[in-house]
Amino acid sequence: NTTTLTTPQNQVESLMHEMADEAGLDLNMELPQGQTGSVGTSVASAEQDELSNRLAKLRDQM
Amino acid sequence: MSAKINATKSKDSGELIKNYHKQAFEYISKALRIDEDDAVDKGEAVQWYKKGIAELERGISVEIRATGDQYDRAKRLQDKMVANLTMAKDRLALLEATLASKSRSH
Repeated sequence: NTTTLTTPQNQVESLMHEMADEAGLDLNMELPQGQTGSVGTSVASAEQDELSNRLAKLRDQM
Repeated sequence: MSAKINATKSKDSGELIKNYHKQAFEYISKALRIDEDDAVDKGEAVQWYKKGIAELERGISVEIRATGDQYDRAKRLQDKMVANLTMAKDRLALLEATLASKSRSH
């Protein structure tokens, strides 16, 4: 996202804090790490399975 | 080759394994696309298999520094990478042998 890249970090942060204050949110609340990580890992696992299937197919052709 | 790679502070070991997986997947997919097509020169696939194998080896040698679910997921991914490493190596050996016998007969 180019907008984020070209906007100074401190401006973004102060704006986010402003918005969070208005909404009564705690910005320091972290997303559960396992959640984001597990999606990527299952995709990776599925991709490895795909490689296995294709390699097995080639092997069985012989 | 089998040197342990330590996870850097910014990335946890699971993330590191995923990155190696990503590279390996890209390279081996390229190799497979060439290898699966009988109309093209399969010699091209050799370099991509080699690159993919190197990335798999790096990913497998990452020491998993996680516990519980995160450890299990990372471990499962590594196990799959081990299986594919064996299969890719077998395929590469066969391909190289086939190519060598072809070039001898020409």
